[in-house]
Amino acid sequence: MRVETPQAKTLVLDVPDWPGHLPGQHVDVRLTAEDGYQSERSYSIASAPGTADLELTVERIDDGEVSPWLTEEAQPGDQFELRGPVGGYFVWDATLEGPVLLVAGGSGLVPLMAILRHHENTGSSADLRLLLSARALEDVLYRSELERFRDVVHLTLTREQPPPEWNGWSRRIDADMLRDVGPGADQHPHVYVCGPTPFVEEAARLLVELGHLPAAVHTERFGPSGG
Amino acid sequence: MSIHTDGNAIAGVLEEIFGVEVTATMRVCQSCGQEHAIGAHRLYRGAGLVLRCPNCGDIAAAVATKQDEYRVKLFGTWSEELV
Amino acid sequence: MPPISRGFRGRRQTEVDPSRLPPGQYATNDFPVLSAGPTPHTSLDEWSFTVGGAVGDAKSWTWEEFVAMPSEVVTRDIHCVTKWSKLDTTWTGVSVETLLDGLETSAEFVTAWCDGGYTTNLPLADVVDGKGWVAYEYAGEPLDPEHGGPARLLVPHLYFWKSAKWVRGINLAEQDEPGFWESYGYHNYGDPWKEQRYWSD
Repeated sequence: MRVETPQAKTLVLDVPDWPGHLPGQHVDVRLTAEDGYQSERSYSIASAPGTADLELTVERIDDGEVSPWLTEEAQPGDQFELRGPVGGYFVWDATLEGPVLLVAGGSGLVPLMAILRHHENTGSSADLRLLLSARALEDVLYRSELERFRDVVHLTLTREQPPPEWNGWSRRIDADMLRDVGPGADQHPHVYVCGPTPFVEEAARLLVELGHLPAAVHTERFGPSGG
Repeated sequence: MSIHTDGNAIAGVLEEIFGVEVTATMRVCQSCGQEHAIGAHRLYRGAGLVLRCPNCGDIAAAVATKQDEYRVKLFGTWSEELV
Repeated sequence: MPPISRGFRGRRQTEVDPSRLPPGQYATNDFPVLSAGPTPHTSLDEWSFTVGGAVGDAKSWTWEEFVAMPSEVVTRDIHCVTKWSKLDTTWTGVSVETLLDGLETSAEFVTAWCDGGYTTNLPLADVVDGKGWVAYEYAGEPLDPEHGGPARLLVPHLYFWKSAKWVRGINLAEQDEPGFWESYGYHNYGDPWKEQRYWSD
């Protein structure tokens, strides 16, 4: 278990017979109480393929059903069920040619971090850029690791100014920001947008308006489970 | 907040139903004719699961989720390339 | 037998009289929002409620006419097929019986139809005699659109998918016509005390 921010932790899991995964995929986690009561939630895989353990970054939702147990109760040795890896649409692989644009809102960074880590591990020469939107610096997941990638990471904070060493803004994402980050639609990047539904829909809309083909803009929406 | 997510959220359920991963499967909508990946479709959670076209909102799939048994109704044209 | 996640309880309410919970249900203090589609937003100017079908002349109310009808405040437990129950929920609405007052019919079934296209079917006997209302307030406040406002059907003795959100009318019919969830794998009647959740129950 690794603390990422005041609200989020990374769980390091030992999964027997783990078949491997592609960056961008997720797992379905199911917890069972002693009386048989069950709850299920999905979590994106944070680790890149090829690492020994499976890593999930979980943000604690106040009054959440599953995240409080995962982030505050779970101890080494505890068990739960896992289904996966799943997902074939929201994946990037180093064999894909062309530039890559990652657009993350808050905890939407998790699967995109798996892509970024995989890009680095494979020594890919693909032009990859990340635009990350978060509330404040303390909410930025993997902050110290992202500092190594500062030349390709663009940060916008909605509640404060980023420090001067970041390529940054202090506002919600908009067309000008996406244009600044690039790559442009004429370079046909594979675009991956992940975060809460309103963030993803706004970002996807802006990207299509900038000329990116809808089929090139892969989206993954995080949201309430619906009970 | 009654907000949808997308087909990615039920990738696991759909794989149990179809036996293969289908979020990358393309679907042509029976109403508006647009083609989108299943992962890009809007997911609503009611009694069961409802997937809707991201363009026109018409229904793409309805899934009744009994414990380990599913009943599925599909709409539109779902195309899977055999590799 | 799945592995037990030590110490996991979830958010369910634990101090509950178990006799109030139908089989397989858990009590919640929350009010989860579930939906088969996006929330419609119908202005009260556009809104109307219609009783039609096998009734002779259809009857219709504007919003002003509807809220001027004799209404009741009822407190009931509600049970969702997704396993949560919420006890002692309070609603204000017009009973279906009141809406049918003066209408002659030999119909035995109703279909509730709604903004957004949702439908559900019930026996007529299950929405009269103090069993069904068209509710426009929850806990004394105007019904939130997320929970079905301006008005929803309220039939608490059946699974809550029968309490159709954004209801705009009921159609009386001689034949039973499966509605949305009833067509897609859910039980035609939906009695929580008999755990009638799915097609094969």
